[in-house]
Amino acid sequence: MIRRGGIGLLVAFLVLVAVGAFSDQLGLSSFYLILLGSICFWIAQATSWNILSGYSGYFSFGQAAYVGVGAYTTAVLSGRHGVNFFLTVPLAALLCGLLALGVGAVAFRLGSLRGEIFALLTLAVPFILAAFARINRSVDGGQGTTVPIPEVPDAFGALPQFQYLLALLIAAIAVAAAYAIQHSRTGSALAAIRDAEDVAEVMGVATFRYKMLAMLISGVLGGAAGSVYALQIGFVTVESVFGLTIPLFVIVMGVLGGRTHWLGPVIGAVLIVTLQDRLSSYGLDAWNSIILGGILALLVAVSPDGLYARLRARPLAALGALVVVSGGLAVLNAWGEVLDWLVVGMLVASLLAIVLGSRWATAWLRRGRPAAVPDEAATATADDVTVPGDAAGDAVPAGSAESTVPAGAPGSGAPGDAEIEAGETGASRGADQLGAVLVECRQVARYFGGVHALEDVTLDIRAGELVGLVGPNGSGKTTLINLLSGAFRPTRGVIRLDGRDITRLAPHKIAHVGMARTYQIPRPFDSMTIRDNVAMAVMFGPESLPLNRARPIAEQHLATVALDHLADAYPADLNLHQRQLLEMARAVASNPKVLLLDEALAGLNPAEVDNAVRVVRRIHESGITIVIVEHLLRVLNQLATRLVVLDRGTCLADGEPQTVLNDPAVIRAYLGRQAHV
Amino acid sequence: MNVIQATLTGVLIGGLYALMAAGLSVTWGVLRIINLAHFGLILIGAYLTFQIATSWHLDPVLTLVITVPAMFIAGAAIQWLFDRLRLTEFNSLLVSFGLLIIIIQVTSNIWSADFRRMSAGTNPYATQSVAIGRLVFPVTTLLAFGLAALVVLAAHLVLRRTFAGRAMRAIAQDRAVAGAFGVDHRRLSVLLGGVVGATAALAGMVFSLSNALTPDTAYEWFGTVFAVVILGGIGEVVGTFAAGILVGVLSGVVSAVWSPAAAPFVLFSAIILALLLRPQGLFAVGGVR
Amino acid sequence: MRRRSIAVIGAVLVLGAAAAGCGKGSGSGGDSDKPIVVGSTLSLTGAFAATGQIHKIAGEEFVDRLNANGGLLGRKVEWKVVDDQSDQAKVSQLYERLISQDKVDLILGPYATPNILSAMAVAQRHGYVMPQHSAVLAPQLTYECQFPAWSIGPTPNSFIPGQLFDAVATLPTPPKRIAVLTSQSGSAAFVSDGFGDDKSGALSIAKERGLDVVADIHYPPTTTDWAPIAAQVRDADPDLVIDNGLGVDAANILQAMAQLNYRPKQMFGLFPAPGPLLALGDEAEGMLSVSMFEPNKPTLDKLGPEATEITADFTKRAQAAKLPYTVFETQAAASWNAWEILIDGVKNSGGTDQRKMCDTLHQKGADTTFSGHLTFDPKVHNFWPTTQSIKQIQNGDWVTVWPADRAAAPLQGPRS
Repeated sequence: MIRRGGIGLLVAFLVLVAVGAFSDQLGLSSFYLILLGSICFWIAQATSWNILSGYSGYFSFGQAAYVGVGAYTTAVLSGRHGVNFFLTVPLAALLCGLLALGVGAVAFRLGSLRGEIFALLTLAVPFILAAFARINRSVDGGQGTTVPIPEVPDAFGALPQFQYLLALLIAAIAVAAAYAIQHSRTGSALAAIRDAEDVAEVMGVATFRYKMLAMLISGVLGGAAGSVYALQIGFVTVESVFGLTIPLFVIVMGVLGGRTHWLGPVIGAVLIVTLQDRLSSYGLDAWNSIILGGILALLVAVSPDGLYARLRARPLAALGALVVVSGGLAVLNAWGEVLDWLVVGMLVASLLAIVLGSRWATAWLRRGRPAAVPDEAATATADDVTVPGDAAGDAVPAGSAESTVPAGAPGSGAPGDAEIEAGETGASRGADQLGAVLVECRQVARYFGGVHALEDVTLDIRAGELVGLVGPNGSGKTTLINLLSGAFRPTRGVIRLDGRDITRLAPHKIAHVGMARTYQIPRPFDSMTIRDNVAMAVMFGPESLPLNRARPIAEQHLATVALDHLADAYPADLNLHQRQLLEMARAVASNPKVLLLDEALAGLNPAEVDNAVRVVRRIHESGITIVIVEHLLRVLNQLATRLVVLDRGTCLADGEPQTVLNDPAVIRAYLGRQAHV
Repeated sequence: MNVIQATLTGVLIGGLYALMAAGLSVTWGVLRIINLAHFGLILIGAYLTFQIATSWHLDPVLTLVITVPAMFIAGAAIQWLFDRLRLTEFNSLLVSFGLLIIIIQVTSNIWSADFRRMSAGTNPYATQSVAIGRLVFPVTTLLAFGLAALVVLAAHLVLRRTFAGRAMRAIAQDRAVAGAFGVDHRRLSVLLGGVVGATAALAGMVFSLSNALTPDTAYEWFGTVFAVVILGGIGEVVGTFAAGILVGVLSGVVSAVWSPAAAPFVLFSAIILALLLRPQGLFAVGGVR
Repeated sequence: MRRRSIAVIGAVLVLGAAAAGCGKGSGSGGDSDKPIVVGSTLSLTGAFAATGQIHKIAGEEFVDRLNANGGLLGRKVEWKVVDDQSDQAKVSQLYERLISQDKVDLILGPYATPNILSAMAVAQRHGYVMPQHSAVLAPQLTYECQFPAWSIGPTPNSFIPGQLFDAVATLPTPPKRIAVLTSQSGSAAFVSDGFGDDKSGALSIAKERGLDVVADIHYPPTTTDWAPIAAQVRDADPDLVIDNGLGVDAANILQAMAQLNYRPKQMFGLFPAPGPLLALGDEAEGMLSVSMFEPNKPTLDKLGPEATEITADFTKRAQAAKLPYTVFETQAAASWNAWEILIDGVKNSGGTDQRKMCDTLHQKGADTTFSGHLTFDPKVHNFWPTTQSIKQIQNGDWVTVWPADRAAAPLQGPRS
């Protein structure tokens, strides 16, 4: 697929180059070249935007900054200082790259930057740059700058040809970059950032670096295209390049075409530019904005994923519609010209793809063959607790009748109960295979404002342990997990993993040292298959692997949790239990020394709990040290080699499960209180 | 003296900014909708004020009797539409941008793209002012400030003291839980959309008192109004008011002591700083969200 | 997988077919029964739209009158005007379409300087004659077949301030202290700061003439809060406020000053929208500006009945289009000039051959209703000796007041 897409791109590029080079022989009027050049400019801009905003999910409203800086660099340097035009293009790209890095360094410094805030931050950048250009009148002399027509080698033909070929080249570079990124580690990393950024970081993805990389590439491409824009408009003023129109149109194109695929912005740009041109050619100027606005509003409402996803679902139908309609109009030749036919064809094809992809059309088409395809209705919500057939099958182990007693032990379990259970299960495992100290917490504290979530917790976890972390709500269990995984930094104290100080380490580095975690509410990467969800962890684990080598390994991990039959499904198709198993498979796949399970059993029915317990045990037996946060003391009795009780941020008790559970302080603080609830 | 006067007028014009931003901020904070069409509603409010005052020779302030209900309906209708579409925060931005483009074009088709301004006869407020010594308070901005203060105070009281207000804050925090407690968020959000539309009528009226209108004006509001929303803290009505004043004073004083050209530079740099230091907004002290 | 590559190949084929087909779509002959088509863009929406409308109405009126009088070379004239949405990038694309695709016979410039410069590049590429109505910054307009319909001479940056200072110097108490407000827009800032290496503008010329510049404020075209500017002017209290701005800047500044209970002794606005200033009423009385033409009775009487007819018809059309200001003045006159230059080029060269038209215009010039006979010297980029005058709001109407030989009324000084 990678090769095929690449070849397709190359062929398309060569064909378009040929169209430009032989435009005279083809009888192509220079208007077509200018129009194609304009399409190429917008493709380059929309792709530049998409590499950051589409791939990583950080919406930028600041595309005008790149266009403006790029255009100004070329206009001012070549127009006022006599610098060769061809030199100004890389300079523009360089300047915009630096600008992007600057903005990125400032914006992404915030760990928990919200998407809207990023959007508005980038909105402010062109305003600042425009004001800067106005304050420093020496930049453009105060009235804008004429861009001199560069000396073009004869081989490029006339100026429109040259402009077109230059714009085409930059658009091709942009699209090729988008294509390459999408099929590389960076693409996977950006997709993970878009789906669940902090999960990706904790899993080992160096999110900051990838975001900065996306910013940089986006800036360089946007700047280069901006410098071509200066040539296209011929006269550059602050208003013409730093305005709001450019970012808004770029966003419309990206959203219309689809932002998760490299072809999306290309489709959006082609459709919007040609449609606008046709509308104005038919004197529908007063309707131009109304139609565009309507298309945007409708499309986002009807097909938020963009046109590309719909077209990909029905490539033949769409292409057929395009060929039949455009070709039919051409054969009839009763109305309009080539461009009209093409635009009508494209519109019909898009409309067809949207209609065929819509819910009712899908339902209608599938009428009569209900079992043929996995139905959308099977999409499970988080409340869905159906157990898949095979998991349920082996979830009825002999002699565990007691374990199917309804969950909720903390509520119902009196101290006595717990004691019996502990005696029964805790003894079945010895502490014999305990190794060296793996995790050390030294006087770790974490405050949120005035709230002391954790206060001087000191804790050692040895290799091979399976530590149960319990405590009433708000006692600091999840905070401790977050500190260990690096999601939060401790206010004070030291955390070591495998002898290495990880207190101030970025989460992805902690992951590489050997820490993995799951989330109480599972947070899969929604845009990826189950297989790729797990493969992500393999790819970005301690040893980096390419996707194609990570996938087979991922399947092994899926087999461990008995999800291998769902490898090609998407997270939306899983029920809660399966999602939690996926969380575990993903965590194990990053090859950790220590696995932190944050209430991995919450919300499951008894059969599911048993299945999950079996999986946890299997993981533990494979040699991974586990810290599990859990409310079900019954489960912990079965599982844990050791219990740690937290209460109001401090460590209340620590030791063998039955010793801990008999500790009067624990009974008073935790079980006693719970029993009275 | 100059600086004092600039500060004063800055405070007052900040009222207009707050009036424009308050609706945007509340829909964003409570309903999770970034409603760019709000700018379109303000624009229509301004044009309606112009049209009604000019053709019926009504006092422009009295046109509120017509524009407020009209914009209430428009705002509620837009909100109803958003509810039906079940949009995410970002998609709401895109859909409402589409609406805004349409509104601007329709305005342009109706009132032409040329400047529209109420004549001195129709609009006695344009040049009136109250003077205390050398310090002068223009009536239009006094009006803006007063209306903004009124709207903010009312919104604050409603959100704090009434059931509907508490329900809205519940929606802001967790829609599902609020629903479980019997809060009908559909009806409430349509109601809120209507109220926000009504504030657009107020803002539009005030704007038309002291400015010539062109359809493109709506875009010019983007920068300042978003600045106010962010600085104030999304969903924070009182914060929005404070931020409006801050923005007004900041650009006023920078214009006066340095240069009007430098005002956007300082303002937007300040916004970036503010976002970095206090991403939740400078004046966010726990309002709606 | 296979389906998709088939799809890609198919798409490429369609594109190829389309590209090949493009050639066949064109090719219209010069049939003499067909109308002569004039193509141009105007900013009918977007930032420049306020003035773009005026040029549309004036152009339509001109074409109607022309066709009613037998058209051009015995053929009807058709005007194809498209909206460029005030977007420079669209301007070049649209002119390219008009010339190379729609194959219009003649073109006319768009509105607003940046747009004109973008269109000029296209016209130059195709060798088309391009009369244009509103770019006055002569040094920027380097194309030899570009013909300005509004001229402030080869150096407008020194001419405008010079003319203004000449005019006010004739007052009983000439202003001594002036404030200069400058919009940082390419279409206005040159009058304050000069253009390129020529630094002479209102600021430098004021100093040369011994005037005291008590305030020098540059503001961005996006300014919305005018109070700080008004307050600074009030505190400086100059004898003359010069606003080198556009559109509604002057009206906004006047109003902001009025709100501060301040009324400037005398004020000049460079290129203001005329309507909003009049709407200000008494506050704007005495306001000065530059003008190409005002339909004042004495001026119209001098020009003859045709001019009166044209201006009256324009007003009727503008009212029908619901324009707020319906008077035929500078912008409309510039529009009219541009059309007359174009038509004279065709008439005098006997056809629509662009090269011949361009040469003929250089040799013979053009006759215009409102600016008389124009001559075009390529050395000064065809900018003819200016007929610009100073106008003033007197009793709620714009009146030409300077220079004396074209004045419809005497210049009035500040009201006491």
